[in-house]
Amino acid sequence: MSLALEERPRELNTPGFGGGPARRAIFRWSWRLFRREWRQQILVLALMVLSVGATTVGVSLAYNAGLPLDPTMGTATGSMTLSGPDPIDVAAAQHAFGTVEEIDHQSIPIPGSLDAVDLRAQDPSGGYASSTLRLVAGRFPTGAGDIAMTGDAAASFNVHIGDPFVVNGVTRHVVGMVENPVNLSDEFALVAPGRINRPTQVTILFDASGKQLDTFRPRGSPTSIGTRSTLNKTAAAVVVLALETIGLLFVGLVAAAGFAVMAQRRLRALGMLGALGATDRQVRLAMVANGTVVGAVGAVTGAVLGLATWIALAPRFEHLVEHRVDRFHLQWWAIGGAMVLAVVTAVVAAWWPARSASRGSVVAALSGRPSPPKPAHRFAGAGGVLVAAGVGCLAFAHRNDNAPNAFLIVAGTIATTFGMLSLGPLFIRGLAAIGRRAPIALRLALRDLARYQARSAAALGAISLALAIAATVAVSAAAAAIPPAEANLANNQAILTLGSVGGSAPGNAAVATPGPTEADVQGLQPRVDALAASLHARAVIPLAAAVDSASPTATDVTATLGKVRTVAHGGRQGVEISNEMPLYVATPALLNFYGISPSEINANADVITGRRDLGGLVVIAPRGGVTRCKASQPRCRVNGVQPTPGSAARQGPDDWNPIIQTVKLPTYTSAPDTLLTKHALQEFGLESVAAGWFIQTRSPLTTAQISSARHTAAVAGLTVETRQKQASNAGLRDGATAVGLLVALGVLAMTVGLIRSETANELRTLAATGATSTTRRTITSATAGALALLGGVLGTGGAYLALVAWHRSDLHPLTRVPYLDLAVIIVGLPVFAIVGGWLLAGREPVSIAHQPLE
Amino acid sequence: MSALELRNVSKVYGEGANEVHALRGIDLSVESGALVAVMGPSGSGKSTLLTIAGSLEIPSGGDVLIDGVTVSAMSRNDRARLRRRSIGYVFQDFNLLAGLSALENVCLPMELDGISARKARVAGMEALEELGLADRASSFPDELSGGERQRVAIARAVVGDRHLLLADEPSGALDSANAESVIRLIRAACQRGVAGVVVTHDAQLASWADRVVFLRDGRVVDQTMPPAGPESLFAPEAKS
Repeated sequence: MSLALEERPRELNTPGFGGGPARRAIFRWSWRLFRREWRQQILVLALMVLSVGATTVGVSLAYNAGLPLDPTMGTATGSMTLSGPDPIDVAAAQHAFGTVEEIDHQSIPIPGSLDAVDLRAQDPSGGYASSTLRLVAGRFPTGAGDIAMTGDAAASFNVHIGDPFVVNGVTRHVVGMVENPVNLSDEFALVAPGRINRPTQVTILFDASGKQLDTFRPRGSPTSIGTRSTLNKTAAAVVVLALETIGLLFVGLVAAAGFAVMAQRRLRALGMLGALGATDRQVRLAMVANGTVVGAVGAVTGAVLGLATWIALAPRFEHLVEHRVDRFHLQWWAIGGAMVLAVVTAVVAAWWPARSASRGSVVAALSGRPSPPKPAHRFAGAGGVLVAAGVGCLAFAHRNDNAPNAFLIVAGTIATTFGMLSLGPLFIRGLAAIGRRAPIALRLALRDLARYQARSAAALGAISLALAIAATVAVSAAAAAIPPAEANLANNQAILTLGSVGGSAPGNAAVATPGPTEADVQGLQPRVDALAASLHARAVIPLAAAVDSASPTATDVTATLGKVRTVAHGGRQGVEISNEMPLYVATPALLNFYGISPSEINANADVITGRRDLGGLVVIAPRGGVTRCKASQPRCRVNGVQPTPGSAARQGPDDWNPIIQTVKLPTYTSAPDTLLTKHALQEFGLESVAAGWFIQTRSPLTTAQISSARHTAAVAGLTVETRQKQASNAGLRDGATAVGLLVALGVLAMTVGLIRSETANELRTLAATGATSTTRRTITSATAGALALLGGVLGTGGAYLALVAWHRSDLHPLTRVPYLDLAVIIVGLPVFAIVGGWLLAGREPVSIAHQPLE
Repeated sequence: MSALELRNVSKVYGEGANEVHALRGIDLSVESGALVAVMGPSGSGKSTLLTIAGSLEIPSGGDVLIDGVTVSAMSRNDRARLRRRSIGYVFQDFNLLAGLSALENVCLPMELDGISARKARVAGMEALEELGLADRASSFPDELSGGERQRVAIARAVVGDRHLLLADEPSGALDSANAESVIRLIRAACQRGVAGVVVTHDAQLASWADRVVFLRDGRVVDQTMPPAGPESLFAPEAKS
């Protein structure tokens, strides 16, 4: 039974060289173990699948979040907008650029609303903008009497396919439903090319190089000439890259935790391999081969499941990003790269515990004794350096207004994550030290975490990362939330404005129309009351605006508040008004509604407001012609200068610097939250006139109520303003927190399960010494709770560190703290973990399937 | 030249106040074909002696020579190669790799050494046949009885060109019939020229050895040649 040494290949005399036969033997053993230990492997596999799947979905979402085309220009590179049909300029563009596409526009007012719908005459098979049209139902309009609409437009006008529809005096029939696939919020009606009699705007699309555009001189007077904006693929790529990095970090950490447990399970078998004469490299290969198998299976399965999830999510995603997406238009290289990197990550994750297993003593390994953990302070030192480097990278990645530096973002994310990971053992040791005097079960659980530092630190890293992502999204969403002052109204408020579209509604003081008389207002009151009753209004407050009776042409244009700035347009000077907001008069009824006593208002205050951002704004009462300041207007300013009383002033808006008093009022841009006092009326020489009604209901207004109110208002010659739809990110914030929580709970359940199953023998010893199921439950729940608490604190801390670095130039947005979400992460998760651990740890532990050594 | 020679070997674990002297100045020589039994109370250093003799641990002092080569001067990879080619281990709890069949377990040291799977299988089957396990070659360890597992472990320890067999309580987990069977197999291997060292508590098994070494507190306190025992019954059978 001897096999002579001379039969060995000559090259095998090199120490440590086992060649192909050795590799094959070790791979065979690893594969067999993978198949035998599927119960243990499936946990790591599931985490791998989850991570790769999430990365695939994330990459797909991030890539498709960007617009595939320009929503107005389609494939054209340039456009020219004319204020009406101008054959000269169209011909000029055709001459200069060759093929052009003309799209005519006209607006259709929505009855009872300040909004209008764009009527568009466009060729569905046009050379450039055909990609901005998609037929949803019916057919495209072809004849003079045909019209198609988007779903929202049809809902606004309450028409369906086949219904007649009168557009600016012309009766047409709705023949189809359409949409702009590049901008789903684009609300418009479509007619065949050339079927708008008097377009108010004409868009000419063309293909032109920058040089052609520079030399193009239109003969008419286009209102604007533009080029297609560069689609910001860089930002999408940055997001994709960052997501991929974070996803893979997560994969690596989860896999490392799993493989650390697997390495511990196989320690005796690895020791036996060493005793049989396997080299360190061959011992490592045994674990790395397992990592390769798990990584490959996880990557393929995860990618397939991720793609299936993406395809299932795509319809909802389209409404979120407001454009259609091609399910298979993905960054395949990124998904493929993520799969390859996932395998590499799994191999690296398996390599690390394999390395410590191969480096240790064979005798210790044969006894199943793991190498003693390395001192935590060494990791902590490295962790501190990594966190500092990561935060520095993130701070420098986002400088000024330049595009973020992808490399620094990736480097910063990796360094910060690994830094926090390296700090983990210190926190685990710290917790174990704190629990030194705790009851035995708790003490044992915390001490076990410190004893098996490799796997508990990896598990902690994975949990921290999941929670850091959730915290980052929650904090970022809170930072980006629209403060109430930037919304127009609360969702239970409406403003009824006198006058029709283009009338003198405060804040829309563009067109002067004759205002209603006192008798008109009194005549409208019963209709307003009926409307208020239909909305179950809690309060109906008459609103008054201030007008300048001295203005010879625009007596109905109300005073507003805003910022006046002189700007230059091509050598000519003009006036730009920004930050404009309506000014209502502080009537006793309004003050009473807000619970403000007239005595609370300072005698010299011109404006009372609930806002704190009105510094530098002035009262504006636009006048149509040359104005003079009257003697009764001592603080009258014309373009910032006090003119000599009685002298002619330059044309332009008057600007009066008011004295502003802050009071407790709600802050919305359209609500009557900024009021002119009686004192101001006298001081500026303004008069109070009826402007409308402010209605507040008990509950948020429904779409049906708003639609009905618009109809009633239109009949009465009023307009209704309600809260404009705003994409709320509260859902995103809460969703991210919930997902982070679920992922962390999943990782916790799996890792705590693995850790506790590996210490099943100790539990049996405890049971033999008389410990009850309460002890077992306490140990498991304490292990889960400790990891969850540390994960929450480290994750949130890391997220804030990174965000502070990112927002370092303006930390103000971070002052909006999502307290509830953070409380759920830091307090809620540990409580969940403790309760879950307690409930699930009641059963006597069953021995783990098979030991890898018999 | 001795197959195994220990010269003034000592082993110390821990440092300072925690220092434990597991072995103190051990001298031992095992010739090819000889079987040496090591006995002693728990904590006397028997297992440490075996792991040092098998190059699994490095002594704190002294030299270990296998086939005249000093082990402590070798690198980790050289020691691994030495174990693959020259040293076979048999443990009390078998230590067969689950997931590999009996034959694959036996072939593993050769495959780790780069011998092709085909040639290794031929040699492995030969070893199993000699131990009466040819029909269990494709069985996995958890399908084998304790005695069969230990026989597979012995086959793995002697397959190839091994000439040093180290056994740590090889019959500790077996009943008396299987225990005797195992020691017979080890004795048979020694008859073919393999040098054997067996650590045991069992005087009955030790009586099969050519020499019995007694350890206490890390020191060799006695060496004796057992009278002709059960081994004498085995010799003619082995020859036949």
